[in-house]
Amino acid sequence: MESLADTLWDVVICGTGLQQSLLALALSRSDKKILHIDPHSFYGGGEAAFSLQEAESWVGEVAAGTEGSFTDASITKPDGSTGLSFPRAYSLALAPQMIHARSELLSQLVSSRAYRQVEFLAVGSFFIFKPSTDPSQKPELVRIPSTREAVFATTAITSKAKRGLMKFLKFVMDYNSETRSETWKPYADVPLTEFLFKEFKMDQELQTYIITLTLSLDGKISTRDGLAAISRHLSSMGVYGVGFAALYPKWGGLSEIAQVSCRAGAVGGTVYMLGTGIKEMNTIEDTIELQLTSGDTIKTKKLVKGDQGFPGVGISRLVAVINSPLKSLFEPTVEGAPIPAVAALAFPPGLLSDADGKVSENPTYLFAHSSDTGECPSGQSVLYLTTQYAPGSMVLLQKALDFFLEAAADDSTPKCLYQLRYDQRGSDETPASKDASVFHLQSPSPSLAFNDSALESVREAWKAVMGDTAVDAEYMTFTDREGAMGDDDDVYD
Amino acid sequence: MADQGGSQHGIARTSRVRTEAQRQSDLDRIQKYKDLESQLRSLVQSQGADPQEIYTLTTRLLRLNPEYYTVWNVRRRALISGLFSRPSPGSSCSKASSSFSASDTTTTSTAASSPSSSTAATRPSPPSPTAGRSGTTLDNNTPSENENKEKEKNEEEDLKLLETELNFTIPLLLESPKCYWIWSYRLWLLRQAIERLSVAAAKRIWEAELKLAGKMLSKDPRNFHAWGYRRHVVETLESKALNGTSLVEQEFAYTTRMIESKLSNFSAWHSRSKLIPRLLDERGADENARRGFLDQELGYIRRALNVGPEDQSLWYYHQFLVLNIVSPVGHPTIVPGFSLEDRVTYMTRELEEMKDLLEDYDDEKLIYEALLEYTLYLCGLEGRKPEPEERDDLVKWLTKLKELDPMRNGRWADLERDQALTELLPGVEQGGIPILQR
Repeated sequence: MESLADTLWDVVICGTGLQQSLLALALSRSDKKILHIDPHSFYGGGEAAFSLQEAESWVGEVAAGTEGSFTDASITKPDGSTGLSFPRAYSLALAPQMIHARSELLSQLVSSRAYRQVEFLAVGSFFIFKPSTDPSQKPELVRIPSTREAVFATTAITSKAKRGLMKFLKFVMDYNSETRSETWKPYADVPLTEFLFKEFKMDQELQTYIITLTLSLDGKISTRDGLAAISRHLSSMGVYGVGFAALYPKWGGLSEIAQVSCRAGAVGGTVYMLGTGIKEMNTIEDTIELQLTSGDTIKTKKLVKGDQGFPGVGISRLVAVINSPLKSLFEPTVEGAPIPAVAALAFPPGLLSDADGKVSENPTYLFAHSSDTGECPSGQSVLYLTTQYAPGSMVLLQKALDFFLEAAADDSTPKCLYQLRYDQRGSDETPASKDASVFHLQSPSPSLAFNDSALESVREAWKAVMGDTAVDAEYMTFTDREGAMGDDDDVYD
Repeated sequence: MADQGGSQHGIARTSRVRTEAQRQSDLDRIQKYKDLESQLRSLVQSQGADPQEIYTLTTRLLRLNPEYYTVWNVRRRALISGLFSRPSPGSSCSKASSSFSASDTTTTSTAASSPSSSTAATRPSPPSPTAGRSGTTLDNNTPSENENKEKEKNEEEDLKLLETELNFTIPLLLESPKCYWIWSYRLWLLRQAIERLSVAAAKRIWEAELKLAGKMLSKDPRNFHAWGYRRHVVETLESKALNGTSLVEQEFAYTTRMIESKLSNFSAWHSRSKLIPRLLDERGADENARRGFLDQELGYIRRALNVGPEDQSLWYYHQFLVLNIVSPVGHPTIVPGFSLEDRVTYMTRELEEMKDLLEDYDDEKLIYEALLEYTLYLCGLEGRKPEPEERDDLVKWLTKLKELDPMRNGRWADLERDQALTELLPGVEQGGIPILQR
């Protein structure tokens, strides 16, 4: 058995974030010699999911500045550890993205057979936070209708407004046709809100419904991107079952997909080393020599690294564990629909104000996860609050949390047991790779729904590694390994 | 199965070796199946074959091929001749005429028919070894007590057997949900439940069946076989045989749930319309209650049309309600006490509502069609021709229809021509509906 140093590796993949892990999956049936390392002691990199203990260590790493785009991480436990279960009962996700049914990621997970190892849960309703006009009343969470049946059922919109909404939904279903394109192309690069107002006479409330469906972080998503997002949402409805358009992997979102992908890589012969990073790198002709933190020196033909940055401003996030199952948020709305494990709520722009009293121009989103996600023990829920990064955005998130707890109160207001806060800052610098043997995976800006554009870079990396032997049609397309499924022969016995 | 050779969509086919092995394994399976079949055939043909053995063979065969209806019949006969605790009255075994070979008709039916011709005097042994009937001690009980004990025991065993059989069909149904033979067998089992079990036990089984029908409709809400099946189950549950009570409220609520799950569910709307007369009767609804109900239903369908004016099933239901208002003769009406004035008021209001829909949905041909029809209904009600204003509207709408639905230009031309006539079409009396050419 060759040692690490004796092998001339075809590729070393550094980091087990989602993109790197998907690359490992893509290469898992090739005959390439692959070494997959990660300086962390856990899988998932920037998309990892943490037990409470792991979250604490991670916060330390962020403070030390070793966690790339993550900054200003901290943990608060309002009541000490009262109410909190043991640390491993939690799996807090750094990447709680929902994955639309029509997402390319799901198609790849299916064609590569990796989907078998992931348990998917349904993402249920989208809500808008509506403050109460009457001080004695608590604020309302209004469900956003995105299907004909939902529009039919809702009492929150007038009869006339429903017609406008239906016409828009019908428009979107077909928005790339010639006639429809003529209508929206003139607005392609202006905010979708303008298009909605001018062409569909939608008032601000209806506009907010539509923008929320796009999960736009600045609320100013362009018409081109906005229509694409809504189209994805609508065409994803009902694909995997009645009443929902998106899925969420159990046990921590994208981290689970990263883990499953690495597992596939390992089964395919990839060697894994956690707690190992690159100390030094030297290029000698066509070979890269890497000195690893483990003390090993290895040679490889290619090196794939994750991107340290992404375009744009970034996000601020607050992860809160609360002591309520929030049952009313997770009700299926139609006959035959599964019980959802995720609910999405938007605080429209102009609602929340920061410490200086300045009103936010961006929406704030809250994803509620029930214990069905495996991210917390039953009886509790995990809330992921996100808003576009700006100085003072953390205050907005706190306010949103407080408002939410008020709205969610039944007999008593739910309490927050634990908070993890951090920012994820974008950077404009992309490391210039002068080296043809070093491939930098490029990530898109953080989003709340999985962005398929993240897959492009993975595919490029795969091509670079496979070189001439790459067959496009075979990308992420595998058959089940033997023994993966039971035989039906026992019926004949 | 066929080896298509070459590559498909750029993906090279895997090696032929595997295909050969597959082919061989399929040949083996075919042989095993044929062996099973001939085994069963010889058993059935032989005299005094053990029903249990036959039964077990049918299990294996049906798992491989649930469409083999002869084998279902063999299974039924096996149950009746041996496995049920006593022959059912009017045993159905004699009507199982299919057999493996025509010449064996007599032999196959004798084996099965002997127990049925006698009374419960001879009782063949029960199928499962664990259900062993201990010898009853007759000493301490009266004859009638013993009879009851036997009856209870029989029912218990029959219940177990029926449940086993019902469960047996489930995986087969999951694989072949449209196979008539499986459903027919289920229905047979359900009827056996009524014949053999206590009313309470039979009722439970039929209620479970209703849940199953519900599950089927959840999976495919527009499966009209499933709707028909559901109606049959509901009917039986309501019948005397199961000490039934009316389920009309529950079923009405069910159509509401199905509609809210999928607006465009013609079967659900249709079922709803069928339930209304009985619903109102059972509620003992008086004139006011009936009016209130009609108003509610009209509001409901209008809300639906508001978001789905392109949906034909919604228009059918609306038309059902409108016809109920306009033509009181020949079928149960929601509000029998409507005066002509009331009808005109309602018709006028519906027309206004439809015109309002046009404001936002001016491209939807079904609205124009409805407006045309309803205007003529209104005229018919009042026994008059269209007024000049209405004539203008009709012309406007017909023009739009010719534009939106040019395939039916013949029909629009006919209507145009008819309206140019000064009389209504023949066959119409005052207060009735004009007969539109279709």
